Amino acid sequence: MIGGLFIYNHKGEVLISRVYRDDIGRNAVDAFRVNVIHARQQVRSPVTNIARTSFFHVKRSNIWLAAVTKQNVNAAMVFEFLYKMCDVMAAYFGKISEENIKNNFVLIYELLDEILDFGYPQNSETGALKTFITQQGIKSQHHTKEEQSQITSQVTGQIGWRREGIKYRRNELFLDVLESVNLLMSPQGQVLSAHVSGRVVMKSYLSGMPECKFGMNDKIVIDKQGKGGTTDDSGKSGKQSIAIDDCTFHQCVRLSKFDSERSISFIPPDGEYELMRYRTTKDIILPFRVIPLVREVGRTKLEVKVVIKSNFKPSLLAQKIEVRIPTPLNTSGVQVICMKGKAKYKASENAIVWKIKRMAGMKESQISAEIELLPTNDKKKWARPPISMNFEVPFAPSGLKVRYLKVFEPKLNYSDHDVIKWVRYIGRSGIYETRC
Amino acid sequence: MPYYGSEETVKELKRALSNPHVQADRLRYRNYITKVIRYMTQGLDVSSLFMDMVKASATVDIVQKKLVYLYMCTYASENPELVLLAINTLRKDCADPNPMVRGLALKNMCNFRMPGMIEYIEQPIVAGLRDKASYVRRVAVLGCAKLHNLQPYTEIDGSIVNELYALLRDQDPVVVVNCLRALEEILKDEGGVVINKPIAHHLLNRLKDLDSWAQSEVLTFLLRYRPRSDDELFDILSLLDTFLQSSHAHVAVSTLRLFLNLASAHPAVQADALLRTSAPLLATCSAASRELRFAGLCHVQQVMRSQPGLFATHYKRFFCEYSEPSYIKFRKMEILEELVNDENVSLVLEELRSYCTDVSPELAQAAIAAIGRIARTYSEKCLDILTGLLALKQDHITSAVIQTFRDLVWFCPQSTAAVCQTVEAGVDGLQDSEGKQALLWLLGEHGDQMGSAPYVMEGYIDGLKTELSSTVKMELLTAAVKMFLCRPAETQDMLGRLLHYCIEEESDVCVRDRALLYYRLLQRGVEETRKVVNGPKSDPSMSVLTGRQGEPISEWASTFNTLGPLAGRDSCPQTDLISAADQPSNSAEEELLPGSEDVTLSSPDDTEEEISLSLGAPLSHESFEKMWLDLEILHRQALGVSRPRTAPDTLQASLQLVKIQTLAFTPGDTVPWKAYIYTRSSGTLILAELLQGDPQAPGTDESLVLSVKQQPVNQHAIRRFVSVLKSVLQTLDVDTS
Repeated sequence: MIGGLFIYNHKGEVLISRVYRDDIGRNAVDAFRVNVIHARQQVRSPVTNIARTSFFHVKRSNIWLAAVTKQNVNAAMVFEFLYKMCDVMAAYFGKISEENIKNNFVLIYELLDEILDFGYPQNSETGALKTFITQQGIKSQHHTKEEQSQITSQVTGQIGWRREGIKYRRNELFLDVLESVNLLMSPQGQVLSAHVSGRVVMKSYLSGMPECKFGMNDKIVIDKQGKGGTTDDSGKSGKQSIAIDDCTFHQCVRLSKFDSERSISFIPPDGEYELMRYRTTKDIILPFRVIPLVREVGRTKLEVKVVIKSNFKPSLLAQKIEVRIPTPLNTSGVQVICMKGKAKYKASENAIVWKIKRMAGMKESQISAEIELLPTNDKKKWARPPISMNFEVPFAPSGLKVRYLKVFEPKLNYSDHDVIKWVRYIGRSGIYETRC
Repeated sequence: MPYYGSEETVKELKRALSNPHVQADRLRYRNYITKVIRYMTQGLDVSSLFMDMVKASATVDIVQKKLVYLYMCTYASENPELVLLAINTLRKDCADPNPMVRGLALKNMCNFRMPGMIEYIEQPIVAGLRDKASYVRRVAVLGCAKLHNLQPYTEIDGSIVNELYALLRDQDPVVVVNCLRALEEILKDEGGVVINKPIAHHLLNRLKDLDSWAQSEVLTFLLRYRPRSDDELFDILSLLDTFLQSSHAHVAVSTLRLFLNLASAHPAVQADALLRTSAPLLATCSAASRELRFAGLCHVQQVMRSQPGLFATHYKRFFCEYSEPSYIKFRKMEILEELVNDENVSLVLEELRSYCTDVSPELAQAAIAAIGRIARTYSEKCLDILTGLLALKQDHITSAVIQTFRDLVWFCPQSTAAVCQTVEAGVDGLQDSEGKQALLWLLGEHGDQMGSAPYVMEGYIDGLKTELSSTVKMELLTAAVKMFLCRPAETQDMLGRLLHYCIEEESDVCVRDRALLYYRLLQRGVEETRKVVNGPKSDPSMSVLTGRQGEPISEWASTFNTLGPLAGRDSCPQTDLISAADQPSNSAEEELLPGSEDVTLSSPDDTEEEISLSLGAPLSHESFEKMWLDLEILHRQALGVSRPRTAPDTLQASLQLVKIQTLAFTPGDTVPWKAYIYTRSSGTLILAELLQGDPQAPGTDESLVLSVKQQPVNQHAIRRFVSVLKSVLQTLDVDTS
């Protein structure tokens, strides 16, 4: 149970404060500011205990969100709740920034009123909340008669995420598989840890109350089917299937069906929503390999050579490639030579930033740099932060493939074939680091 | 925050709010109300606008209503009479056809937190409980709890409680959970909501319909329920099974907690549950958000208390990322240190070494301390790394390494020689007092093994005038006296100077008293001093134990998934470096007490008369293993007693009492159970293995089998050893049964 919720800016000024329980005094707001935001040292723990009151805090860009309680609560739940809160706010007005919070603070109070009552989470689904809170970001809107009646039906109705009587002339479906691939690699090229966290985002413009069924190359499903089919078939598909470590779904997905048959069926919300999130750790296709070579030549010079290799089909193109090579603090000058793209030393960021617009698969590119150092009497060794990388590739690094997406609407006369479907895969880099 | 002209602002707002033109224009009116709320949030006192705001509540605009209610809730307690004016509007809203309006009005009426309101609220709440819209019912149910909160000492209204219990069967899941929450608060003095069999089963069946927050809470409520029979228990467990793998970490962990509590009588089920939750727990440990990651790590640590090996294969998941905040890195290092085994030790050490040069000195020191703790089992590799770190010549690293050395020597005496060599090879530039103390302790305690020790110490004695820390001075005194006892010729002169300075010129009373103490002690003669000052040089009882003991799950299951695990050890890493309890004693007062070792030595021990087993120098794991493989089994016999059911520490202590040293044993109830022990007797070394439940030798399930190896052979000694061992085990057996 949450006693209160506070939102501060980076200076510690209170932007939002909402107290749900009497046991949280007004001084709690100040206690957090003094003890955490204004404290000079690093944050020691995301849970801070001040005078028998626990503050669970999360920082988003420059904004602090703190949930306060006096009870011994489930910490993971409170954190997940705070994230959910951020998601909901982001769904209403985009990025969580001081500016946006100040402009939308009325909306936030409304949200806080609906999401929590007496400190207990009530309703946190953005889709359902949108019916209670009809303000669209900063813009205010009048309710029409029709909307009013919709709210009534929503408040009492069973399916919270879709209203009745939606009609489109063209039934369309957009499906995006968005993945972010994370890597930590040792200088010797050994993968220390790698995982992909992915999302399946859908935009549906479908009439009526359609029933959808979504299929992908999930290993458990494929193996199950493989048993029934011919041996040849199972051998082939077994290679292409992926093992999903864990996944979560939008509330519209029937979990019971997923648990029993592992099939994903649902009545989709209208418009854009996130159907599922998942994570894989096995057999990840690492789109790029970074091979660093750092040599210290005397005390005032460093030679850095970095090779990147693209590791995917030659017909595909990676975009927005950026390699960030950190340089020591006492760098005085840098000379860079690269075969492809543009490289620049950015003194303010202490890094060489190498940008390549496009790169095809199975290619290799190289940069070499000479870094001049100022002699210092600082004995501290340079900690050698890892080389990080950003990119975007048109495939899913986890190997996930959409096998089918079927739409059934028994009441209206359109069939699966009439629906226009679009599928797109985008793989982006998450934290993609190679130690040097 | 400074507010300029706050009075002016309030006046202006008041004027605007009462302006009929503004009131006519809905948007402008709402804008002014928004302004009031904004000032309120910033801490400006706008309570004088209460009248105007109450008037503004009579509107059809829901947003405006919400804003006004928010305002009223904040200032209600300061204007109790004026709130009554708003009551009528609110009560009228409670009968509005729109369920949103009804819910909103009811919610805010309950939020006023004014005891005077109770008589007006009761009736709408009761009506709300029977409302046909679930939204209103949700609000009304929590309203009951709020009502009770307003008048905590009054009689509990039985009819409302009954109604709430009935609403547990409501079709809306949020209403169900709200009922539980409300009942819990209302019945707090009577021990909270009662979960009987029908309610428990009902909740379990509804669990899948609830949202994740509610699931978590219901699972916690279910902790109260005790199934009547094993059949029922297993039915419940199989129902809960799917939630163990829930995608929401908090649900998975809550389920695990319930599992562990329900199955407290079935350790196998508990272990199985832990095994299957390990995947979601690990996923939480690499969650995208740091805070969740932190929570996950803390819970992994808890689980590891009972099942140290559970995550051993996943050790790479606990490698730190560069950008992670330090609180995560500290936890990850603690876990890594626990996960070390023969296969991964070199990779883990490699990883930890890279943290030793981290920019944050605290983190670097924690990493060094972690390597030091691993060194208690894998001394050689770790000593290499630690020695390498000294070459970096950075103050904070050197200091941490020296402190680690001190702890290592205390726990693991076989590494003394290597440490002394390294320390002698050159340690300089220690700046902080912690590091100096550690170095001085090493010099004093093991000065006999370091040729240059007196000269290093002389440097400190000469620099005494500039030394600020009194703890360093005290440590210096102790170290100098100890050094004098083993190398009198080289130390006598400087000890004299040191004592003279500390007694005559030192201003700190503690230091002066300590110096006087030593001075008087030395006057009693060298032998007397030696008896008092020289305690044990290491703590052998701790050193050789490697079989990490799994604590019983019940130890932590009760605090699992609460704030407890997150608070964990002291969050300040620096105190972690040396835990106070294990610290080598460095105060004379403590040393004046004879060490516990001496007590056992001098105690009249009936076995000591007839046989002469002795402890001698501790054996390292490597040398024991080598010898064990080289030698033949000389003697094998079934002892006729089963393995002692005592705690591992007790077993170890009791064996040590008769001079048998324990090297390692398998933790807990694992089968087969093994223990390796050794002792010395009149020039021979006896190594022995105790084994129970060997799969290859049937019939050993009940009794321990002893295998003895010896070098050089002395049958007489073996017979004595066996009889002593047998009597100890029998005694333990009687004690526990």
